[in-house]
Amino acid sequence: MEAHKNMLTEPIIDMYNVCIRYGKDPDVLKDIKLTLQKGSFHFLTGKSGAGKTSLLSMMYLALKPSAGTVMIFGSNIGYASRDAMAALRRRIGVVFQDFRLLEHLSAYDNVAIPLRIRGMGENEIKKRVKELLSWVELDKSMDKICSTLSGGEKQRVAIARAVINRPEILLADEPTGNVDNDIAVKLMKLFIELNKLGTTVVIATHSKELIAEYNYPQIHLENKGLKIIPALRRAQ
Amino acid sequence: MKKAFLNRYHSEIPLKEEKSNLFLEVSTAVSVFLFSIVLAAYFMMTSMVSSWNKSIIDGLTVQIMPSSEALTADEELLRLNKVISFFDERDGVEKVRVISNEQIKHIMSPWLGENANIENLPIPKLLDVKLKNGKTFDYQKVSSELKEVASYASIDNHGIWLQKLMKSAAALKMLSLFVLAVVLSALAFSLFYAVQTSLRVHQNIIEILHIMGATDNYVAKQYAKRGLWTGFISSVIGTILGFGVLIMISHLSSGLETGLIGSAKLSLWHWGTIALLPPMTAVLSMILSFLSVKQTLGKMM
Repeated sequence: MEAHKNMLTEPIIDMYNVCIRYGKDPDVLKDIKLTLQKGSFHFLTGKSGAGKTSLLSMMYLALKPSAGTVMIFGSNIGYASRDAMAALRRRIGVVFQDFRLLEHLSAYDNVAIPLRIRGMGENEIKKRVKELLSWVELDKSMDKICSTLSGGEKQRVAIARAVINRPEILLADEPTGNVDNDIAVKLMKLFIELNKLGTTVVIATHSKELIAEYNYPQIHLENKGLKIIPALRRAQ
Repeated sequence: MKKAFLNRYHSEIPLKEEKSNLFLEVSTAVSVFLFSIVLAAYFMMTSMVSSWNKSIIDGLTVQIMPSSEALTADEELLRLNKVISFFDERDGVEKVRVISNEQIKHIMSPWLGENANIENLPIPKLLDVKLKNGKTFDYQKVSSELKEVASYASIDNHGIWLQKLMKSAAALKMLSLFVLAVVLSALAFSLFYAVQTSLRVHQNIIEILHIMGATDNYVAKQYAKRGLWTGFISSVIGTILGFGVLIMISHLSSGLETGLIGSAKLSLWHWGTIALLPPMTAVLSMILSFLSVKQTLGKMM
């Protein structure tokens, strides 16, 4: 617990005066200032179109800011080389709202991708992937091609793929949106466990129940800006 | 163990199922087929030219036509010496030798019989001019200069004719090299085009791989692997077709019995070089695929 508290004084994502704009359209987000400490847990909230996906895209390094500075793991992404960006991305796990699985591959192969990218040996990959897929109750579907899985199963594959690498930052866009309540609770427990191990977690959600139940601080997007709503009490 | 080995070469991008594969395979096979034929033509011309060159590079034969008037022995000798001096003074000439009547008699024996008295026949005197190693003449120039000095002497036109042929063959060799370059460029272009199309088709998958931390090399290696196999299999087909055509040509030309074309044969070394086309194409295809992907991804996310 002490170690976890110490982590919370170490910034892992720093944004200064960041603007996001697509082409010549008006700013989606303007003058954003945000610091996330290592080991923190936040919900990302805001109405549809408030810029949640844009902010997450910037955090997982798929989008560069139109203006301002973004520092991730202490690196300014504006000046990072392609290989350096790839190395930073390997430390981040992402769960997309639309899953973004490789539909032609099996559940097993989808979850194995981050480990293969790291160049891990197949025996170790097999062990880790099987263990995690069992944990998300997909051990019987691991050889199924993803296009044949249900929405809930796809979401669990997407989450397994995001966490298999034990990422330092976990970004999730509506991760419990397509699963039943029991699985949602189990997935939230997984995120909390990862967070206790030091992973910085940001979960974009519309679910007031989820926010109320787990009561972590919120990064709330409104009027192109951002405000932090502190947690009222710690989750048990 | 075997499964682990295969998984090691696992590809997330479904390149095997791509429709453009057939285009790539056919264009590679056709390019390699054409390349093998043109390369063989180049080799054949090289060996032909080398054989012709060998026949004229050592020396040349000069004919001194008998005079229409009756000449004394001294006058005959003067005529002969004038031509010998002409060649003796030239740079690159090692030795000038008069071919004896006995040798001429031997040469002519298939037509005149063993006991012919050639002294009484109007047969030209022959000079054998031996050139120094590596030296050659511009036969047409030397021939016209000789005409000015001794109009009754002429260089054996076999050499002049061969040299003209050699010049044409050299031009054809250059042309075949140009065709080889064109075929190679066409292959490189079709490969580049196929890779670009594929990258557009799989842009979404590549983006996901990038988000998960894949480097450009990781993606490019998957294309390189496809390039290697497609290049190898297609070029084996192209080379087999090429071998078939070359064997047929070789068989047909063996019946021609002509001295000139007879020297246009492929040596074992030539056949071996053509047989190396599949591995060379495979490696080239792999490298081009890799570089093409790297260059394009540099502009992506």
